[in-house]
Amino acid sequence: MAVFLTGSSFSLKKTVQPVETGILKMVFLNTANGKPVVLRDSIYNNYFGEQYRINKLKYYISNILLTGKNVHNKMGIYYLVNAANDENAIELILPEGKYYNLTFLLGVDSIKNCSGAQTDALDPMNDMFWTWNTGYVMFKLEGTSDASNADLQRIEHHVGGYKGDHNVVTKIDFTFMDSPWIEIKKNKVTEILIEMNLDNYWHGNSEIKISQLPVCTTIGMLAKNVSANFKNLFSIKTISTLP
Amino acid sequence: MKKNVVISISLFIVVSLTLIAAMHDDGYGPYDPTVLKLEIPPDWPKPPTDIYLNNKLTEQGFQLGKKLFYDGRLSKDGEVSCAGCHQQFAAFATFDHDLSHGVNNGFSTRNAPGLFNLAWMTELHWDGGINHIEVQPLAPITAKNEMGETLDSILFKIKKDTAYKRMFKAAFGDAAINSQRMLKAIAQFTGTLVSANSKYDKVKRGEAVFTSFEERGYEVFKVKCASCHKEPLFTDNSYRNNGLPLNRFFDIGRQGITQLSSDSLKFKVPSLRNAQVTFPYMHDGRIYSIPQVIEHYRSGIITDQPTLDSLLRNRISLTNLEKNQLVYFIYTLTDSSFNKNKRYAPSGNYGILNPGLDKH
Repeated sequence: MAVFLTGSSFSLKKTVQPVETGILKMVFLNTANGKPVVLRDSIYNNYFGEQYRINKLKYYISNILLTGKNVHNKMGIYYLVNAANDENAIELILPEGKYYNLTFLLGVDSIKNCSGAQTDALDPMNDMFWTWNTGYVMFKLEGTSDASNADLQRIEHHVGGYKGDHNVVTKIDFTFMDSPWIEIKKNKVTEILIEMNLDNYWHGNSEIKISQLPVCTTIGMLAKNVSANFKNLFSIKTISTLP
Repeated sequence: MKKNVVISISLFIVVSLTLIAAMHDDGYGPYDPTVLKLEIPPDWPKPPTDIYLNNKLTEQGFQLGKKLFYDGRLSKDGEVSCAGCHQQFAAFATFDHDLSHGVNNGFSTRNAPGLFNLAWMTELHWDGGINHIEVQPLAPITAKNEMGETLDSILFKIKKDTAYKRMFKAAFGDAAINSQRMLKAIAQFTGTLVSANSKYDKVKRGEAVFTSFEERGYEVFKVKCASCHKEPLFTDNSYRNNGLPLNRFFDIGRQGITQLSSDSLKFKVPSLRNAQVTFPYMHDGRIYSIPQVIEHYRSGIITDQPTLDSLLRNRISLTNLEKNQLVYFIYTLTDSSFNKNKRYAPSGNYGILNPGLDKH
């Protein structure tokens, strides 16, 4: 305690100008067919006219990077978006100012896949971890479809792989050429609503038909094919400063 | 006035310190860790990676890891601890079993390897599917045919045990119990199991001499076996197809991990240390004795497999005498001081929870 008192008296003498900060709240909204995803309920159509229901939808967001006057690296943040949550939001404290670039990874970087037991979002208890071939499931979609020829007509996509040719981790990059910038204001919350549109999961760079790929639960070329569409999953709906 | 200020500050400090002490006294005992160092035997290579880089090795962490290792509560039925299949007297392999017993009378599909010198391995399992020692236990714990349990359920069980709360606090600074701490503690036990005191090691250190038969076996070993079973670990930790046919589980080995057809039927080269007590042999325990293993290399290798190791294309030529000499050399790799080391044995009375050999 004595040390603490001494420490605080020293810090009073410093004359560093405090950086004014605000909060960036990244909200993830999962949609399909133009509607918010509702688990175990709604029926959706994919690009090929295959109908499906969704029972589980989970994916990792990590390595968030914001660029304004300076680059702000939020490498330490790992967030598991889960459609079962009421809201999926990441809150970041940032210096006030305008930011013209936002990037993040869909998935978990290779370092965290190789560094042993993790906790919080990366806890293997979140059921996003392969125990027999170490690595995180980056994107998990489970459901059912009449188009599926798998047992119980299930869809089971556990998309993962962090090494070499099997790496499915995808960098999502938003550059704001002009307004709306992401503007962080002192002591205010700026909310950026990011839509993850499942309609783009099935087509784009590769065609993922439920009839052909009802189950994909290992690393490999099939998972890599699925991940080819990851880049187009995300778009920014709105950016607003909350009152 | 000045005196009063000094007194009030002193009082404030005393009260604060008492408060801090009270806050730390959560009823789960002290946190006073004793730092340990991984023992690296002289003349051994340094481990390829530091498995304790993010896991401070302490006596308290080791003891907690040991308790978890011997605790049947890590399995669905409370019977199958890590030690159930990794028995110390068998260098932490399953003694005299081709496959190991899991919950619900299940069987594993692979032979349980001995656990020693793991700090020198960058990948674990016969197929190398595990990339870090901390996450290895997740595989047997959650496998339906092994321990068949979930992490949620294990944590629920051990959180109710005050002894665990005290040990987690002693190891990690507070009594919080989570999967990460549990796995790190187990790694503190398994990763420090170092076996380096066999007769072979004593000979190398000038403390013993080989018999002439063992000596000739060592010469044979160096010419015919040492390129894969590389000294001093007696494995080069590579994956190789040693010419066995595909087994009844259609176990393709390394290919299942890398998805590369060039890795078909490749398995990790096991260490020959303690081989005398880790029988039966091979990834599925299909060969019962050391002489039979040597015979496989002499006459049993199926040579028309595309991924067969290039060193085995012509099998390994050995005379009967050389074969016997080799067996005697391999016996010199048995480390009884490791297999009987009380430090690695369960503390307290776990005899009822873990009957060991008798049960099987």
